[in-house]
Formats: sequence, C-alpha cells, structure tokens
Amino acid sequence: MTYQRFTLLAVFVFLGLSFVAQINYDSWRRYTPPKLIGIDYNVYIEPQPLSPSLAKAVSFGSTEFLADYYWLTLIQYYGGGTPNGKYRKLAELFNVVTDLSPRFVQAYQTGLIILPGEGFPDEAIALGEKGKKSLPDSWEMPYYTGLVYHIYKKDFVSAAKEFQIAATKKDAPPITQYFAGIYYKEADQRQLAYQIFKTVHETTKDDFVRERSGKQLLHLEMTFFLEDAVAKYRQQFGRYPASPQDLVTKKIIKEVPVSPLGVGFAIDTQTGAVSEAKR
Amino acid sequence: MKYKVLWAITLNTFRETLRDKLLYSLVGFAVLVIAASLLAGSVSLGQDARVIQDFSLTAMLVFLLIITYFIGTQLVFKEVERKTIYLVLSKPVSRETFYLGKFFGLCLTILVAGLIMAAMFLIVLYAKTHSVPVAAYFAVGAIILEAWLLTAVSLLFSSFTSPLSSAIYTFGVTLIGHGSATVWLLSQKASPVMRGILEGVYYLFPNLEKFNLRNDVVFNLSPDGTQVGLILLYFVGYTAFLLILGVAVFRKDEF
Repeated sequence: MTYQRFTLLAVFVFLGLSFVAQINYDSWRRYTPPKLIGIDYNVYIEPQPLSPSLAKAVSFGSTEFLADYYWLTLIQYYGGGTPNGKYRKLAELFNVVTDLSPRFVQAYQTGLIILPGEGFPDEAIALGEKGKKSLPDSWEMPYYTGLVYHIYKKDFVSAAKEFQIAATKKDAPPITQYFAGIYYKEADQRQLAYQIFKTVHETTKDDFVRERSGKQLLHLEMTFFLEDAVAKYRQQFGRYPASPQDLVTKKIIKEVPVSPLGVGFAIDTQTGAVSEAKR
Repeated sequence: MKYKVLWAITLNTFRETLRDKLLYSLVGFAVLVIAASLLAGSVSLGQDARVIQDFSLTAMLVFLLIITYFIGTQLVFKEVERKTIYLVLSKPVSRETFYLGKFFGLCLTILVAGLIMAAMFLIVLYAKTHSVPVAAYFAVGAIILEAWLLTAVSLLFSSFTSPLSSAIYTFGVTLIGHGSATVWLLSQKASPVMRGILEGVYYLFPNLEKFNLRNDVVFNLSPDGTQVGLILLYFVGYTAFLLILGVAVFRKDEF
C-alpha cells in the first residue's frame, strides 16, 4: 500500500470513527436517565440562554441578530421534543428573545399561544404585559393575553379587560369587543356585558358581529325579564320557582321567552339566579 | 498635497489588496453566509425576511471588519518590511500623501467588497420576499462607513505597532465602540470621579452604535434626515481626527 493510499484510508477511518462516536455521544446524553450521567437534570439537551442583560451587553449592538439566534434555538428546542417531559427553558427563551427584540410581534404571539399549554401561564401573562408596553398599538398583545386569562386562568374579568383594551386598538377585528362582552357575561357581570354588546351593536360595521351582538342583547334582556319575574314570584310565594315554566304556571309571565342563542334558561332554587340551562 | 499622486497611491493600494487571496476568501465566505441565511430563514417559523436581513447585515459587518483588521493593519507594515516604502518616499511623495493614499485605497477595497456582499444580500432578500425595505440601503451604507472609520483606526495603530497588535487593538476599539451604550449607562451610575473617566471613554472612543441601523431594518424604520446628517458629520469628524493623528505619528516614524 502506498503512502498516499494509506493516508486516504486513514482519513476516512478516523472521520468514520469520529462520526460513530458523535452519534453515540448524542444518543447517550439525550436518552440516558439524568442520574446516570451525574446531574439532576439532562441539561445537555437544553438551550442555556444568557440573561437578557448579559445577552444585550455581549451582542455589541447586534441585538436583532442575537434575538434571531435565540428564536431559531427556541424553534429547534420546541420542535425537537423533550425526553424530560417539560420544556424548562421555554419561558426563559421567549423572555430573552423579546428583551433583545422588543418589537418582535411573532415572538410574543407564539409565546402567548405555546407557553400556557406547556405549564407557563404566568410567564405567558408576563410576556403579554411586556408586549403591551413594547407594542402599544398592537391589538394582538392584549387579545392573546386575554385568551390566556380565559383558557388557563378561568379569570373572565381579566380576560374581558384585555379584550376591551384590544378593541380600542387600530386594526383590531370587530369581534374583539364582542368577546369582551362575552367574558363579562361569563363572569356574571351582565350589566357591563349588556352595555358592551349595546355599543358593539350600535357601532360595528361588521354584519356578523352586529347580528351576534343583537342576539346577545336580546338574550340578556330576556334574562333581566326573567330575573324580575323571579323576584315577583318570591314576593307572592315566599320561595323561588324551580324552573321558568313555574313562572308561566303561576301566571307571572305569559310564556317562557326563547333565547335567540338557542339556549334554555334555568333558575337556581336557592338564590333565584337566572342562568343558561346546561345543554 | 498632489491629488494625482494621492489618486495613484489609492489606486495602487486598491490593486495591491485585490491581489491578496485573503480578500477573495473573505468576500466569498461572506457571500456564502448571506446565501446560507436562506436556509436559516426556512426554519424560522415564517420569519424568513427577518432572519435573512439580520444574518446578512451582521455577516456583512463582521466580514468587512475582518478585512479591515487583517488587510488594513498589513498595508503600511508590508511596505516597511519589504522596504518598498523607501522607493516611494524617495520620490516626490509626502508621507501624508502616502498615508492617506493607503487609507483611501483600502476604503475603495472595502467599498467594492461591501457592494458585492450587499448585492448578494439584496438578491437573496428580493428572491425570498419580492421587496427590499429602504432601511436596508441605509444600514448597508452605515456598515461601510463604520468599516471605513475602523480602517482609519487600524492604520493609526499600524503606524506604530506590529500588524497583530494593531489588529487586536482595533478589535478592542470595535468592542468598546459597540459597547458605548453600556459605558454610558455605567457612567450614569458611577461615583463622580468614575463618572468623569467613563464619560471620557464614551466620548473619546468611536461610538460605533451611531452606525448601527441594522436593528431597524426588520421594522423598515429608515433614519430621518437629521439622523443621517449627524451620522455623516460624526463619521467625517472622527475619521479626520484619526487620520490627522495617524499622519502625525507616521511623520515621526523612522524606518
């Protein structure tokens, strides 16, 4: 074997060896239980972002570039899955990306959608608050923050407030204020909900939103009407009716109104509160 | 100063740098990196334009600065080492003309390299997004201005130190220049004495963040007339200061 051939062979052999070693190493660090490799958590596969202030300092002016780098890291991290069950660094990554690029709308939106589902609802809300400060004209920031309050916190009043803020922004979809009304209704703040639906109904240029808000108004008016009837019933009989039909039977009202939303009404026999019947 | 002689040295320096293989490899690599930003953009969840702009502009800056560090610091040194400077200075060529010719020659090289990189960047961006924000042209211009200013820095250092030291010092000045915002913030929190020192550093070292229009490109925020005017004024003022200082040092050099 000539020297040249031996060199060529050696190059390929050693390159192949490094390749095999790398594959095995990656597989070991990714799938071996953390305790066996002597750490409490498999930190090797997690990105280790710098703190936002340090990242800004070492970017030497290229903050958007560094934000992009962390954005790509974040996508790879989230898209690659985690054998540890939780994306511990997810919120940290969204934070550093949006600190480096405070006007990066897509990063806030993605964070507000992904973070709560991965167990970071509070971090998502904090991200939304940061987004509202950095992008004061964006309707998306309060809109998505409102969704987090609704879906993950069941805090309908906060959700409604966020949607009301979103509705004041330019380019906000016409349905935004309608949603604010829905959330106030969910939170049992019916008078507030009624006022919002009324404003929406009178001002919107969107046919669908006008039709829906009209139905909501009618539904709430029926609810108020039934509440008055329930109060009269109690005055007369000293107790609350068991159902809306009782109001008809005792001739308090002529008939039970039919909600345009296609839902029935129920009455709480303990408090007399009128609500939508469970379907 | 004879402008004909100055132009001859400028052109000669330009030709000399074009013969340097390092320049081709750097420009080639920069073009490759810019093209590769397409790949990075494709995995960015719909942020292609943003990634292409940020990666390409950063690559342009980094590679133009590398050209400045490695070619700019060699220019005068090579002439001295090969003793060709004697040939030039024995003719009716003043030291000022020689020094400024070297500076303008390298500026021309940087301009050409920058335009090649910019062309690649704009082609890639246009191919992907079918539009080019106006802010991108301003950012490219500011990057070239920054590289020109640092060329003056590297020439100044290379007139009294070795190329390696000169490259390291110029790199240091780049870091301080881009960290100027941090220096200013630190000065505002420091004790009165320290504040004076840090403010001195802030004003004495070149404030390269003034040339940083890269971060605004993704939002298509173009600078207004005042900002452009102040950037140009700062560039002219600081570069002239460096060149005058450099010429003064170079006049006293003994070869």
